[in-house]
Amino acid sequence: MLGEFEYLLISAAARLGDQAYGAAIREDLQAATGRKCSIGALYTTIDRLETKGLLKTWIGDATPQRGGRAKRMVRVTPKGVQAGKVFYHAVMRVSRGASWVPNRTGSAS
Amino acid sequence: MTSVTWSFVELVSRFLHRDERDAVLGDLVEAGDTGWQSLFGILGLVIRQKAGLWKSWRPWLAAFGLALPCSLLLMGFSISISRTYQEAIGPTILKATGLTVGPGFSLLLCNVLLLIAWSWTGSFVMGSLSRRTVWVSAVLSFLPCLFCLGRFRIDSLSRFCLLLFLPPAIWGVYQGLRIAQIKLSSAVLLALAITVLTIPAWTSHGPWIPNWALSWPAWYLVATARRPGQAPGPGRDAGPVQRTS
Repeated sequence: MLGEFEYLLISAAARLGDQAYGAAIREDLQAATGRKCSIGALYTTIDRLETKGLLKTWIGDATPQRGGRAKRMVRVTPKGVQAGKVFYHAVMRVSRGASWVPNRTGSAS
Repeated sequence: MTSVTWSFVELVSRFLHRDERDAVLGDLVEAGDTGWQSLFGILGLVIRQKAGLWKSWRPWLAAFGLALPCSLLLMGFSISISRTYQEAIGPTILKATGLTVGPGFSLLLCNVLLLIAWSWTGSFVMGSLSRRTVWVSAVLSFLPCLFCLGRFRIDSLSRFCLLLFLPPAIWGVYQGLRIAQIKLSSAVLLALAITVLTIPAWTSHGPWIPNWALSWPAWYLVATARRPGQAPGPGRDAGPVQRTS
């Protein structure tokens, strides 16, 4: 099963689609969680997920706003999608009935 | 970002793979991080990557199971060979005709071949086991050498006799880093040769554990050898990133 940060990273990469690369994922994670994401944590986790076969990365194009440096593009593999689903459903199940979870009428109890 | 801190960032980034370095530096530029943020960020990445290599058993085996004990044992064996040379060959050449050899010649030859084979196989396995931490293993090999060189007290021998094992060892590391595996037939031949060469040691009353400590890398090479039809592969700790553009 994925770890919390692994799930966040896979979700961000899946959401960004073809535009998923290091800086974009980092910005997306910081915006979603409100927490700083270090470049060390980001790239170490990308490496680990790639080793597990949940992500695929390749070196993409360079752009002028990056000082002409290439991007490391990221794509979620089918195995990664499956792992993301498993984590999501586990969180949904375990959260059911918790006080901060909205009930069926849409209001938090 | 000041040019000084950025110089440090670029310096630290040299520990990263070339493609990854480009991507990480580009991300830092694009994100607009300050110089210190970039420096700490990239330092964190390098430290995490280097520490991550040690999660595997391979670097530990290479460093503490091979490099450190084998360099100590091989230094002792180098001295033993030098003494055998002095006793068996030296007097013959210096005092006799120079065309005949003493009775210890076959033992000396056997030991020289064994030294070469043990040094080569041990260092080959060290290099192939964990190529990205090979510098740690190399340092752990050289530390006992420096220690012993500083305390060498045999007047009749040069202190460099301690390092007789180094040339085949350096050759072995180079080969281990380059090809990682050898053919099964070559590995079997090497392991059998080493085992046969250690037979004289079995018949003596000397300790046998050092022989096994130096011989197991040869059988490890047999166990991990390239089978017929198997393509030569990369090192066993090659990185996961698919560096295609």
